[in-house]
Amino acid sequence: MSQTIIKDLMPKDELLASGHLACPGCAAPVAMNLVLKALGPQTVVTLPACCWSIIAGPWPQSSLRVPLFHTAFETGGAVASGIKAGLAARGDTETTVIAWAGDGGTFDIGLQALSGAAERNEDIIYFCYDNEAYMNTGIQRSSATPWGAWTTTTPTGEPEATPKKDMVSILAAHGIPYIATASVAYPVDLVEKVKRARTIRGTRFIHILAPCPPGWKTQNDETIDLARQAVQTRVFPLFEVENGRNWRLTVDHADEPVAPYIRRQARFKHLTDEQVERIQADVDDRWERLQRRIDCGT
Amino acid sequence: MSDITEPGRSGRNIPPIAISRMTTEVNLTGSWKYIRPRYEDRVAPCNANCPVGIDIEGYLYLLGQGRTEEAASLLLEENPMPAVTGRVCHHPCEDGCNRANLDEPVAIHSVERRLGDIALASPPPAAPDPARDEKVAVIGSGPAGLACAYHLARIGYRVTVFEAAPEAGGMLRLGIPEYRLPRAILDRQIDRIAALGIEIRCSTAVGRDLPWSELDTFDAVFAAPGAHVGKDARIDGASDTRMVRPGLEFLKEVNAGGRPVLGDHVVVVGGGNTAMDCARSALRLGSEVTVLYRRTPLEMPAIPQEVKEAKLEGVGFRFLATPTAARAKDGSLVGIECQQMELGPPDESGRRRPVPQEEGRFSMIADCVLTAIGEDCDLEFLPEGVEISGGVAAVDELCESTTARVFVGGDAADLPRSVADALGSGKRAAIGIDHWLRERSGEEVAPPDLAALRFGPGGNLSIARERGIDPLHRASPVNEVAGWDAMNPAHFEQAPRHEDHFHAAGDLTATFGEVNFGLSEREFRDEVDRCMNCGVCNRCELCLIFCPDMAIHRRDDGEGFEIDLRYCKGCGLCAAECPRGAMAMSREES
Ligand SMILES: Cc1cc2nc3c(=O)[nH]c(=O)nc-3n(C[C@H](O)[C@H](O)[C@H](O)COP(=O)(O)OP(=O)(O)OC[C@H]3O[C@@H](n4cnc5c(N)ncnc54)[C@H](O)[C@@H]3O)c2cc1C
Ligand SMILES: Cc1ncc(C[n+]2csc(CCOP(=O)(O)OP(=O)(O)O)c2C)c(N)n1
Ligand code: SF4
Ligand code: SF4
Ligand code: SF4
Ligand code: SF4
Ligand SMILES: [Mg+2]
Repeated sequence: MSQTIIKDLMPKDELLASGHLACPGCAAPVAMNLVLKALGPQTVVTLPACCWSIIAGPWPQSSLRVPLFHTAFETGGAVASGIKAGLAARGDTETTVIAWAGDGGTFDIGLQALSGAAERNEDIIYFCYDNEAYMNTGIQRSSATPWGAWTTTTPTGEPEATPKKDMVSILAAHGIPYIATASVAYPVDLVEKVKRARTIRGTRFIHILAPCPPGWKTQNDETIDLARQAVQTRVFPLFEVENGRNWRLTVDHADEPVAPYIRRQARFKHLTDEQVERIQADVDDRWERLQRRIDCGT
Repeated sequence: MSDITEPGRSGRNIPPIAISRMTTEVNLTGSWKYIRPRYEDRVAPCNANCPVGIDIEGYLYLLGQGRTEEAASLLLEENPMPAVTGRVCHHPCEDGCNRANLDEPVAIHSVERRLGDIALASPPPAAPDPARDEKVAVIGSGPAGLACAYHLARIGYRVTVFEAAPEAGGMLRLGIPEYRLPRAILDRQIDRIAALGIEIRCSTAVGRDLPWSELDTFDAVFAAPGAHVGKDARIDGASDTRMVRPGLEFLKEVNAGGRPVLGDHVVVVGGGNTAMDCARSALRLGSEVTVLYRRTPLEMPAIPQEVKEAKLEGVGFRFLATPTAARAKDGSLVGIECQQMELGPPDESGRRRPVPQEEGRFSMIADCVLTAIGEDCDLEFLPEGVEISGGVAAVDELCESTTARVFVGGDAADLPRSVADALGSGKRAAIGIDHWLRERSGEEVAPPDLAALRFGPGGNLSIARERGIDPLHRASPVNEVAGWDAMNPAHFEQAPRHEDHFHAAGDLTATFGEVNFGLSEREFRDEVDRCMNCGVCNRCELCLIFCPDMAIHRRDDGEGFEIDLRYCKGCGLCAAECPRGAMAMSREES
């Protein structure tokens, strides 16, 4: 096939409503829409504080056509575990319970609750939609913010000084049954991974890169292309991990240089060419480590 | 302890757990936008490059959907003889194909050929209702004449075609050899055209067998007599022998079934299609053949594929050389004197003019010389008022000549000369004649809006557009070419092009059987798949899946989509991600 005919591959459920409050061009609702298409209506969403708390609409509205539980910033893993336990107590073992958290709520403040759930192998799917900062409160850095990026707490004079935390490795170290990275620019791959995750029991973790026009300082219509470029530059490779091992790439990755990806985002505009080179070196290094894991299967 | 359901400070009942009971659809977030998307289909560059004007992107889309019959009928809407053009057209469509930017052009001609053959296998079309009273005479049954007759008959005119030769087809029968265009295919294609109720009177040369005045009973005349007079190669002493012959005359003889004896060594003079056909036909009659061309391979006007095949079959080439004198002995040719040339400054055609090289004389053994350096028109039979300029009739865009009621087209009016150009010319003439006759009959008709009838900026015109036929239900189509910059290449993967299969060279020279077998069914499907449907929405639904605001919905009739502007925030993702340039954004009016 020389082109993707997506309509034959996409479930027809429409579980996200219009009128939600995401900024124009936001990837987060695209991600949610795809995930809910893959999971279907028998799904409960746990939502710690993040942009999505706003996107879901103010009470008494909801932009989701499935049950959605707003909860505290740090509690995604714990509350999802509790909802799952409650349903099980009522004899419902079929409903899929997911946590849907931002990178701040996952990499930073929610890490403890997530680690606890993963350690107990709770029967939940934990989604992190990663826009690489605390966007809801006005673009503060998180430990998912890439090295060199501007945020309001890492101004251009003193940009983000540490590289992005390797969350997938942390989760892989928990040995949970299924981990995947996914991208809004690869909807078929994303939907397949979510469907696959749904058939597995235990803690599953899916990390979705979700470009944010105001936070990344990019144009509204670039979101999907940025997500795609992140994959094609190997900044955000698409892969799966089973039981902490069997690392496997799921799409072809071109070997495009990172510079064009970095340069089109004004959050990186202060970087010198040498600094962009450094990002390239870091990307190459991570890719090589990923390759080693893929090659040796652990 | 207070009852938590008692009215709070706001005066509202706040339940223990606040539960939402409505969706966000009450928020008309579309008010945020300052640009808005729209569906707007464009024209594919292949189509814009086609002299006939064929909705290539459209029929390839229908084929991709498995709607083969509809695809064939859309193709036949514009092109009366796809089984012919699929075989002999030089396919400029492929030069325009966007896919070249990704890997290689779609093999459009191969798909057209196969679809044309599929259409030939179906029962012939029924003659349309003679909706019009007027009668039209067509002179010449080449592609231009037949195309004009076809389109006029389909509108409902009564058409009579006068043809000088004993059989219809023009150069397709007289010039193009059977090994490129099997006569069974040509016959069936012409039969289907005639089945529309067109009368074809062969062996009737207007001006010779039938005086022009006999055409007075017709309401309009379309003259498409082609270009059949071989140019004189001015070889000294040529008249001393019968073996220095016009190539076209030789081809006509062979194509009528003649098998003349040419001798061992044949020299063909020229670099166009006629020269290639002469060379390959002479080869099939058992001679050794050398083509003499006065410029270099780069300047050869012949279709490159023909040159390639001629070489594969064993035709020799000698470039930058021209014959000057024939050497005859007792009426038989024995050789020719030639002059070596070199390229000088460019001439009026922009090509560098060949000039004689000093001291560059040589001779060649030749039992026969076939001259094929171009053809002129014989327009003597046309009434005096028809202005001739540069050897062809002066006509306007709809082929109307300087004499009322008389339209001229095809090779007799057009340069460049090709089957596709002739078919396009015949179509333009049909549109012109139809409008002219309607106007004359007192109907209120607006002058034809050529810009609206065109596919792209070129000269082709569309009958489907004229008749408002569009099985694709395009959304507010604009006549703008969807070039590579309108495409989103991220949604396409590389896939190699399939080439036609050829009869192995070597064992073909003794036969006039078809050399090109086209594509297999699977390869044909693959090529259909390779087409990106540039500019036309193929319902891939990427816009729908990437819209963050769920503002895009399938239409109830299944033909495309609607944008709910109450919720569209104008992010532009739909248009940016559309793989084929079928969407556009425009500013909100304050
Ligand atoms: C040898 C050769 C090979 C070619 N190969 C190709 C090719 O591979 N691909 C391509 O695209 N083009 C090719 N061409 C060019 C192409 O054939 C012509 O451009 C095309 O056929 C022109 O169409 P037409 O209808 O204008 O004229 P023609 O096809 O020439 O038809 C004109 C007809 O009018 C008839 N006629 C003339 N005068 C009168 C009269 N007074 N009364 C009645 N009838 C009359 C003639 O007998 C003839 O049948 C080739 C040309 C030649 C000579
Ligand atoms: C304990 C606590 N601290 C701070 C906040 C304020 N707060 C709400 S959302 C948010 C940032 C969320 O960032 P992230 O998880 O990355 O999601 P995003 O907004 O970027 O989508 C913060 C700091 C809070 N709700 N609770
Ligand atoms: S700030 Fe970014 S992540 Fe949050 S809604 Fe806006 S675009 Fe989406
Ligand atoms: S890809 Fe298809 S529609 Fe596009 S130019 Fe080529 S043949 Fe035409
Ligand atoms: S993205 Fe696909 S469905 Fe949408 S307009 Fe373009 S071709 Fe049509
Ligand atoms: S993607 Fe949706 S919201 Fe964005 S411009 Fe298109 S229709 Fe509007
Ligand atoms: Mg965030």
